[in-house]
Amino acid sequence: MKEKIVSIGFIIILFCFSGFFIIKKDESLSNVERRKLKTKDVLKKDFVNNLEDYLSDQFPMRNSLIQLNTFFERYLLQQKDSNDVYIKEEVLIEKNYPKNQESIKNFIKKINEINAKDLQNSEVYYAIIPDKSYFLEETKHLKMDFLSIYQQLKNELNLKEIPVRDLFTLEDYYQTDIHLRQEKYPKVVERLGSVLDFDYKPSTYETNHFYPFYGASYQKSPLFRNPESITYLTNETIKKAKAKHLEYGEQPIYEIDKLNSMDAYNVFLGGPSALIEIENPEASNEKELIIFRDSFASSLTPLLISEYQKITLIDLRYISMNQIRERINFNNKEVLFLYSTLIVNNSHLLKN
Amino acid sequence: MVFSSIRFLFFFLPLLLIIYFSFPKKFKNLILLLFSLIFYYFGEKNYTLLLVFSCLVNYGLGLVISKNKKKLYLIIGITFNLVLLIYYKYTGFFIENFTNLFHLNPISLNIVLPLGISFFTFQNLSYLIDVYKNEVSCQKNPLTYCTYICLFPQLVAGPIVRYKDVNEQLKNRTENFEKFSSGVSRLIIGLSKKVLIADTLYYTYTAILTSELSTVSYWLVALLFTFQIYYDFSGYSDMAIGLGKMFGFEFKENFNYPLIASSITEFWRRWHLSLSTFFKDYVYIPLGGNRTSKLKHIRNIFIVWLLTGLWHGASWNFILWGLYFFVLLILEKFIFQKFLKGGFFSHIYTFVLLLISFVIFNTTDLEELMLFLKGLIGIQKDWINQETLYYLKNNLIILLIASIGIHPKLKDTIQKLKKGKRNKGIETLYSLILLGLFLLVIARILASSFTPFIYFRF
Repeated sequence: MKEKIVSIGFIIILFCFSGFFIIKKDESLSNVERRKLKTKDVLKKDFVNNLEDYLSDQFPMRNSLIQLNTFFERYLLQQKDSNDVYIKEEVLIEKNYPKNQESIKNFIKKINEINAKDLQNSEVYYAIIPDKSYFLEETKHLKMDFLSIYQQLKNELNLKEIPVRDLFTLEDYYQTDIHLRQEKYPKVVERLGSVLDFDYKPSTYETNHFYPFYGASYQKSPLFRNPESITYLTNETIKKAKAKHLEYGEQPIYEIDKLNSMDAYNVFLGGPSALIEIENPEASNEKELIIFRDSFASSLTPLLISEYQKITLIDLRYISMNQIRERINFNNKEVLFLYSTLIVNNSHLLKN
Repeated sequence: MVFSSIRFLFFFLPLLLIIYFSFPKKFKNLILLLFSLIFYYFGEKNYTLLLVFSCLVNYGLGLVISKNKKKLYLIIGITFNLVLLIYYKYTGFFIENFTNLFHLNPISLNIVLPLGISFFTFQNLSYLIDVYKNEVSCQKNPLTYCTYICLFPQLVAGPIVRYKDVNEQLKNRTENFEKFSSGVSRLIIGLSKKVLIADTLYYTYTAILTSELSTVSYWLVALLFTFQIYYDFSGYSDMAIGLGKMFGFEFKENFNYPLIASSITEFWRRWHLSLSTFFKDYVYIPLGGNRTSKLKHIRNIFIVWLLTGLWHGASWNFILWGLYFFVLLILEKFIFQKFLKGGFFSHIYTFVLLLISFVIFNTTDLEELMLFLKGLIGIQKDWINQETLYYLKNNLIILLIASIGIHPKLKDTIQKLKKGKRNKGIETLYSLILLGLFLLVIARILASSFTPFIYFRF
């Protein structure tokens, strides 16, 4: 009896999956993993070396089986992290550990240098958004000493802080992505307004939803769970504003076609971009804001458009300060360094 | 190609099973040979011809030695095999050390080690020596001889199968459902040991090594590596034995719960048995074994352990590893033996020494090795830290599973339950667990990146 069950079961698994390979059409894209899958074409190039990648990518029920592996790690082995992703109350939290003192020093040095060299005639502020690992419990997970990082930034950065850390809870972030939900940003904009001197009215938006959304962390630690939805807020000002990208030219604020791309978060200002200049044709003032930023600012910035005539976004991960100096005049403008703690702890990503 | 890959499990194996069991008996060896060469080609494109060449030369030498029992032919055979092994495996090492010693400019030869060369060279050697000593008659059919050497279950990572053990099976073996099923069970157990346990332990200790290390974490890494190499290698042997059974072969066991040994001497009677018996039969005993003077006896042990270390790799840490065991075995033989009576202390003594041995095994850089050994004795600021505690807690279950698995108790309990009153239910449950494990293995292979078997490059 035992022999029959094992052998027949084994043969069924072996031949069913192998048979499915023959019947099943190749899939070219994985939305869950946010990447292109290897198709039969790669076998024509190098059958021996590409066979494993091809079969793995096109394996029947691949996503479910990868979820089974996460189940094994999470529930059978009781491991708190899988591929450096923690799962806390069904929220995926990417590990940002250990604290990299060199990186923090480098971050402070870079910002102080820019401030001293270019921003002497500007109003300069900084705000640091905590990444999700801020909400982990020290006793259960590997968690950096965030308080000491914030304190060090306060002590050593020669600019004024707009504190935002107290505004967030873990629920404000996407469950499967590192970023904050845009609909949770109004309280941050309100706080910024209290310092940057504008009167923010959060009730003027219409909400738009997109489903299904699988965030960047999901591919590292997929669970048996439904995808979440992504919400973007619009109003007439946002619709009429135009974003001029250094690389891609003029684009709308929300690039709706990106919702169906591999990373739906790229709907916000089109995703990674070195330099974006946003102009508000309906502005009632001549104020200009320059934001040195990472990807967290992509979803925050649209909510600031109504308050400024022009907002310039600089991402130093993709462009150097020398190239920026040739293009941007900082004089008499408001400047905000808006970064997440992910960048503070990995500041080597910022160009000089 | 590795057994724990999608291309092996869902491309190679189903195809081989269909063809192998569709054809009459007279074609079966040919089918196995062709598939074994394809298997090797997938892992080592450039050296498949070298493997065939080595097989054919040894086949010819076997015929010559069988006809003319002259020592000269045996010496030619041994020299041929050793030259091949030394050229591919040790040339780079010798040249590097030579240039370092005489402060010469480094010379890079870029000789890539053919997959499994240590295993198939030793099989060829054992065949020639056994034929010479009349312990086995030579194989007259080149196809059968090539099938013996190239047989895919044991080709790239052992066990070292002696010709005299499979000679009969090559000619006349029976494949049946019972054997096939037993092979499938063994294959799944091996896959689970490798993919579910060894790979998990590997990811854990590599993560710990990038963290801030405390004294406890050094010991934890040593423990994880010891478990990992055991589950990796014994898992591979299980797969080889299981796959062999599926096609009608019976290979000898290669492991017998080595980590529960109560002395280093006993450990080597339980660990990598095919290698230790090879050295015993073809090196130690021909040198005189223990039936000689004390000094020569020590010399014989020294040679065996120097060679054992070198066999594992062309690197000083492997030589050191072999010599470490030489010292321990000599101490046990002449001093400690009377104290090692199998009690708690004996097990602890053996296990701690084994942990250290696998640290030596794992660290190819001698400076790193010294740092690690210093770490084990507590030369760093923390005895234990937050990270160590986290990794300990996070890996408690896998460590528990690994600790249970090194003991025969689990296997004995399952056997006992199967023979009990509710044996049918237990057997069915056991079968379903095995199938569940197989699905988990597939899931884990899909989810993880490729991790080569450690013993492939030896």
